[in-house]
Amino acid sequence: MEKINLKAAGGYALVLGVLYVSVGVLEILSWIGIHLSGFVIPGDLFGGLALLVIGTVYLSGVKTLLAGKEEGLAFLFVGAILSATFGVIFLLIMGAHWLNYWLGEEEFSTIAEFRPEIWLFFISLPVAYFIWKWRKLQK
Amino acid sequence: MSAKALRGEDLEVVLAEKRYETIGKIVKASVRKREAKLTFSDMLDKVFLHKYLGIPIFLAIMWAVFQFTFEVSSPFMDMLESGFGLLGKLAGDATTPLASLWADGICAGLGFIMIFIFPIFFLFVALAILELSGYLPRAAFVMDRAMYKIGLPGKAFVPMLMGFGCNLPAIMATRGIEDEKDRLTTILVNPLMSCGARLPVYVVIAGALFPDYAGTVVFSMYILGITLAVLMALLFRKVIPALKGKPGPLILELPPYLTPTPASVGMLTWERGVVFVKKAGTILFAGAVLMWFLTYFPWGVEPGSAESYAGKLGQAVQPIFSPLGFSSALVIALIFGFLAKEIIVETLGILYGAEEEAAIKSAIAANVSPVTGFAFMAFVLTYLPCLATVGIVKAETGSWKWVGFLILYELLLAYAVAAVIVGIGSLL
Repeated sequence: MEKINLKAAGGYALVLGVLYVSVGVLEILSWIGIHLSGFVIPGDLFGGLALLVIGTVYLSGVKTLLAGKEEGLAFLFVGAILSATFGVIFLLIMGAHWLNYWLGEEEFSTIAEFRPEIWLFFISLPVAYFIWKWRKLQK
Repeated sequence: MSAKALRGEDLEVVLAEKRYETIGKIVKASVRKREAKLTFSDMLDKVFLHKYLGIPIFLAIMWAVFQFTFEVSSPFMDMLESGFGLLGKLAGDATTPLASLWADGICAGLGFIMIFIFPIFFLFVALAILELSGYLPRAAFVMDRAMYKIGLPGKAFVPMLMGFGCNLPAIMATRGIEDEKDRLTTILVNPLMSCGARLPVYVVIAGALFPDYAGTVVFSMYILGITLAVLMALLFRKVIPALKGKPGPLILELPPYLTPTPASVGMLTWERGVVFVKKAGTILFAGAVLMWFLTYFPWGVEPGSAESYAGKLGQAVQPIFSPLGFSSALVIALIFGFLAKEIIVETLGILYGAEEEAAIKSAIAANVSPVTGFAFMAFVLTYLPCLATVGIVKAETGSWKWVGFLILYELLLAYAVAAVIVGIGSLL
């Protein structure tokens, strides 16, 4: 039976972990007033801390996955669930802001509304393949 | 020598650990296991129940819940508000008491509070998803160690979390806690968990004074409530003879993770949210009419001015709150907030003569400084449970003594917290 490539999963968890932690740090720095990146990173203390938590979850599984142990997938799966939770919530918030704009209540800028939580969620989507494959193998 | 002295731990915890150790040995010796496959629930539990990651994950999820509640409900609130604005205009110019009652009392007062049905229901939707997915019992498990350290049993976590919705059913839910001291401590600190009725106050004031960080300011109120509950629980456990001692150990069966269905989420949300709808039709309606009368009478005076009944009441009580910078309008709102916390916003709307959320926010921004506004939110969080909650505390404790103690300590705590905020704010 075809198995999950745990090393590939570990490598992907590493990429996602580093991305989430980096953007989390940038959001916190931006909140303090230090703008380091050329991207639109909102200044948000709690948002940044939440990204750090998700990044840490991904990174916690890297060592185990690279060692070829299946247990590490748990961190990748929960990281993906958190990514999806935050991504969907910020997509809904984007929609709500657009609705407010449509009602004439506030300004709307697609670039500013496209929060890192959303594009990081899209980057995390391939993890769904690992979840699907793992669940298929379990059956 | 006692076990406590030997291990420096509570005797019951040591006994529970030994009991499970013995059970483990017997099972190992007598049961032959086949290699079991890891289930998806096992995988998720490995991380959600993680010693170090469990609590940060829980906090991140709760922050996301409040962002969802605050931000996503906003356009729906605007739409309902416009509807009430149109209804208010049906009576024409409010030049007669009856027309004023319709436009300023019912449509502006009650209508203004009705728009908060959206953030309240959105919060309940999020909590229902967490509960039905099986995550909430895990959160109780993760928090048990922390709860134990603050003098509350792990079983107190669910009533405390329910307090974010409404303190009334949350206090009733403490019946599941066997130990009377544990239960009483949980009841006394539960009103510090910020219920849904306080959310409209935060939404309006944070939106008016901290428009760029409104979600975070609202979240900070919840964190402040949790912090105060922790401190009070610790204090009560150490100081009050009737509550002294350590909480009992947690025994909890964790259900498997499930995907909540829209129907089950809808049913649970409605079950909890209907309390607000019923309140709106009874106590909030009566509160709106009473506030309109006090603000607009004697008929002909400037509404909410010093000559109105509300103005006179505010002037009589305001000196107590002048060190905190609370105006007579804020003080009147606090007095009527004892009936139900939602009335605070309703009262401010009527007193400031504001019919729309934008108008009341402008009025608050013009009359209240950010520091005073933040202190006011903290005061609302802490000062008193609503009338209905006081009634349920009496029913559950069976004692007016504990009710009196709850009211007194919360009033003193609210004043102290607000004074600290004003003090720190004046240094910035």
